[in-house]
Amino acid sequence: MIEQLPVLLVVLPIVGGSIPLVASLVSDRAGWPVATLTLVGQAGLAGLLAWTVSASGTVSYAVGGFAAPYGIELVVDGLSGAVALLVAVVSLGVLAYARQAGPHSNAFYGLYLLLVAGLTGMTVTGDVFNLYVFLEITGLAAYGLVASGRDASAAVAALKYLIIGTVGASLYLLGVGYLLAATGTLNMADLASKLGEMAAYDSTLVLTAFGLMIGGLTVKVALFPLHTWQPDAYANAPDTVSAFISALVSTVSAYALARLLFSVFTVEFLAAVPVARWALVGLACVSIIAGSALAVSQDSVQRMLAYSSVSQFGLVIAGFAIATPLAVVGATVHLLGHAVMKGGLFAATGVIERKTGATTVNGYAGMGSRVPLSAFSFAVLSLAMVGVPPAVGFVGKWYIVLGAVNAENWPVVAVLLASTLLTLAYFARLVERLYFAEATIHSEETPAEAPVTDGSGQAVSFGMIAVVVVAAALAVALTAAVPAFEQVLRDTLLPILNQ
Amino acid sequence: MSMLTTVPPVVILLALAIVVSRLPRRAGHAIGALVPALAVPWAVMVPEGAHLRTQFLGFDAVLLNVDPFSRLMGIIFGLIAAVAVLYSYASEADTTQTAFALSYVATSFGAVFAGDWLTLIFFWELMAVTSTLLVWHYGGKAVRAGFRYALLHGLGGTLLMAAILRHYVEVETFLFASVPGGPETAGISSGLAAALAAIGIGVNVGFIGLHAWLPDTYPRPHIAASVFLCVFTTKTGVYGMYRAFPNGHEAIAYMGGAMAIFGALFALFQNDMRRLLSYHIQSQVGYMVAGVGIGSSLAQAGAFAHVFNHILYKGLLFMTAGVVIYRTGTESLKKLGGLWREMPITAGAFSVAALSIAGFPGFNGFVSKGIIISGSHYTFGKGPLPLGEFYTLEWMLLLGGVGTFMSFIKFGYYAFFHGEYDGSVPDANRLQSVAMVSVAALCIIYGVYDTALFTILPFDVTSGAVVDHVYETYTIPHLIEGVVLAVLGLIGFAVTKKPLSKLGRVPDIDKLYNPAVFYGSRGLVVGVTELYAAVDRTVVQATTVVTRTVTSPNDVIARLRDDDSLVHPMRAGIGLSILILAVFVTVALLALS
Repeated sequence: MIEQLPVLLVVLPIVGGSIPLVASLVSDRAGWPVATLTLVGQAGLAGLLAWTVSASGTVSYAVGGFAAPYGIELVVDGLSGAVALLVAVVSLGVLAYARQAGPHSNAFYGLYLLLVAGLTGMTVTGDVFNLYVFLEITGLAAYGLVASGRDASAAVAALKYLIIGTVGASLYLLGVGYLLAATGTLNMADLASKLGEMAAYDSTLVLTAFGLMIGGLTVKVALFPLHTWQPDAYANAPDTVSAFISALVSTVSAYALARLLFSVFTVEFLAAVPVARWALVGLACVSIIAGSALAVSQDSVQRMLAYSSVSQFGLVIAGFAIATPLAVVGATVHLLGHAVMKGGLFAATGVIERKTGATTVNGYAGMGSRVPLSAFSFAVLSLAMVGVPPAVGFVGKWYIVLGAVNAENWPVVAVLLASTLLTLAYFARLVERLYFAEATIHSEETPAEAPVTDGSGQAVSFGMIAVVVVAAALAVALTAAVPAFEQVLRDTLLPILNQ
Repeated sequence: MSMLTTVPPVVILLALAIVVSRLPRRAGHAIGALVPALAVPWAVMVPEGAHLRTQFLGFDAVLLNVDPFSRLMGIIFGLIAAVAVLYSYASEADTTQTAFALSYVATSFGAVFAGDWLTLIFFWELMAVTSTLLVWHYGGKAVRAGFRYALLHGLGGTLLMAAILRHYVEVETFLFASVPGGPETAGISSGLAAALAAIGIGVNVGFIGLHAWLPDTYPRPHIAASVFLCVFTTKTGVYGMYRAFPNGHEAIAYMGGAMAIFGALFALFQNDMRRLLSYHIQSQVGYMVAGVGIGSSLAQAGAFAHVFNHILYKGLLFMTAGVVIYRTGTESLKKLGGLWREMPITAGAFSVAALSIAGFPGFNGFVSKGIIISGSHYTFGKGPLPLGEFYTLEWMLLLGGVGTFMSFIKFGYYAFFHGEYDGSVPDANRLQSVAMVSVAALCIIYGVYDTALFTILPFDVTSGAVVDHVYETYTIPHLIEGVVLAVLGLIGFAVTKKPLSKLGRVPDIDKLYNPAVFYGSRGLVVGVTELYAAVDRTVVQATTVVTRTVTSPNDVIARLRDDDSLVHPMRAGIGLSILILAVFVTVALLALS
């Protein structure tokens, strides 16, 4: 049973995702219960798997009985186990939000589960081509979800996302082809041992493969300047989808980038080709600064949050590129913490918009007293994102900074410290608006005050607020789990990082 | 572990802040004043040593570290917080504001009882946050000032954080040296770390050039909020300065001397009462910084004695100024006068506080200022510019004293004694009077019975075994010095009264910050080449955008929204995005191979 867990994690949401389409023959509201049942099972399986991995080490499974390196291998270690659990738990949590916020169609929940399957597949796979397949599944499901918004702008945003995302994925596939040509294998572990032996690290073939694969994934992670699809997609999608994809899609892509970096190209590659590390660190630093600067200049809160992601993923990638155990632990903690915080923030913007009609920084003025619970959660999540202790955002940044200090990478330390100030600049502005400014929108103008009877999705349910509050509580409470998680991660990472 | 060391005070006080915000006004303020008052006997009795050792993010941390320095800070912080809450209640502050103030008090306790740098910086940053909230709470002009305050303190905190990280790399622990397991030498290790720490802490204590936030922020919030603000941030800064530089540093000592003169001079130019008092914080903190910088046990004992006394009389001054504003509604000395007939209690309390801050014999400022000046003479070098038998630092501090006399004679003259007040205003209300008179009594008690002060100092200044030069408060030369300074102050005020009254608002360094950055660099660069001019324009524009976004986000947002409906010059379309992607990958591949 334990060995089959990785493949079950992928199969379960795919099977669950096809049921709502069939169920449309009977009822057009079957999607939500089916998705909930499936994801409860998914969360249980992912929890079991994560527990198994933390107790007894890596679990691997050969798909169809074809042994690696020829067959497709699924591998779950401490890092991927944690990400798989995150995917399952967050997608289950967002369902509580979707119950009221919609969209309610069965097709929506089919796509939703397909996206979970794609994300989980990217997480557990141990094969670079298989990773491409799941990358495309993730992408297609995400394009569909973004387009499920009722506005025309959602369709345009989805088209933009589709074209740019597909080009990115194709670049990645091109890189996989180069790697296959260089080594004759697609299995990650096998590639790691053959690279450097069969093809020198600094040969053009390997370098091109590296550039194309990392470049392709960078599009999905949405680092500056390849982030252009992301603010449109996040801001125009329905609130449920914004919360879901902002929490998970870029997160899992960043995980995949780390997996490629450490399990395929390995730290020896980074040591042998310093320019590769510097390029990545430089890109991350530019992303941190540019993302923050763009976030400060935004008017719409959702777009601001989207640009904030560009900056925060710069932090994560910087942590990975420094590649000392401390920095990688920090980057992973920040990756997971960011998922919870950003998902929660988007969910909170949805609640605030439904209750008060406020969508802009100016509109948020004085909303602290109108929607006290959501506004308070929003403020807590914002401060957590800035990195105010004891929130989890602080722990992640702290480890990344310490890692950079230990690696004596002073320019990065300076950028990281500056990023805290920049993050403060745009979040402090919002918190100040919420609590210390005169309201610009008054209750009589608010759409949500009108009684909603047709279930058009303008009302706010207990589940929606619960999601926001739980995210805020988790943003603080997760700090307590960091020491235990750090131990598991170190067991996984130390062999990978050759320390 | 005794009862007294089970919980760090910050936890209790933070809980108190939350409780106060939920209670009715009267009950909230009653309990809000009682608990900080209880912190005083707690601070006196709590046993010395490092308690509550724990692990924080995998590093050793000490949440409660008691030594004579933190004990003194605890006593005076608890005392003034209790009085200030009482004053808040009397001055119609709401419970939310008092709750913010108490959270600020709580984090200050956390900072001064920290036993390692990590805990210290943690509470240091939280102090910046809580005090900003306290300023913001008043709304109006306080909001923008609060932003500038928060940004500058964020910057200072980040510099201190960098210094601490650098220190950690060298000694591999965050603990203070006095804590078991700490490094061998106390203080921040020298070199880059020390420089960063000096500047980072320098923001909090108001080094010249980094002080603009003081007169900018403190005059603007609620009158009771000013009483809290004038106490905690700068004094915790002095405490942090001692922790970072326990053996002093010459440059810091002279910076302290310069602050004493600069602050007193600029105070003399002010007409806004609370702005005048804010400059005097810088001046008085200059004495403390000088004491820490000198580094001898005599001077450091003097610095901490001055912290103790200064909190008393500066709190009292802000209370009296607050009462005047509360009753008359005006902040400007030019519009006041003759108030001593109307409000004799306030005028009396002000006189005590003014004589204390100026260091007149018989008042507490005379005692502690005397210790520092004595330290600058007997335990510090002659310096580059000795005048006769006065050493450089010594005459700087004495000159600051003359300036202090002059500006308080000005304050008292224009507010209370000059001319007649049109109309009639009542004196301070009963509870305000209780708060002011009790603090005024303490100012006199500690001035007359100086032994009461000496017993709580970290070094016994009356024992030749502890200090290099035994200090005695009431000697004939010292008394003469005190009186001469007062006479010089009187003469100085009489001479400068006319020109000063014609003086408009004198610009300070904050008027120079932006123009200097903008036009200075611009003029220089345009002069060099046209290319540089183009670069510079971009820089200036970017700076303008950033400055405007940060200082007045509303305007920028409003402007952006106008643009927003038409075109989005910043947003890349699909085609441009693909082009960027292609160029990006090409550049990456070229760079790699």
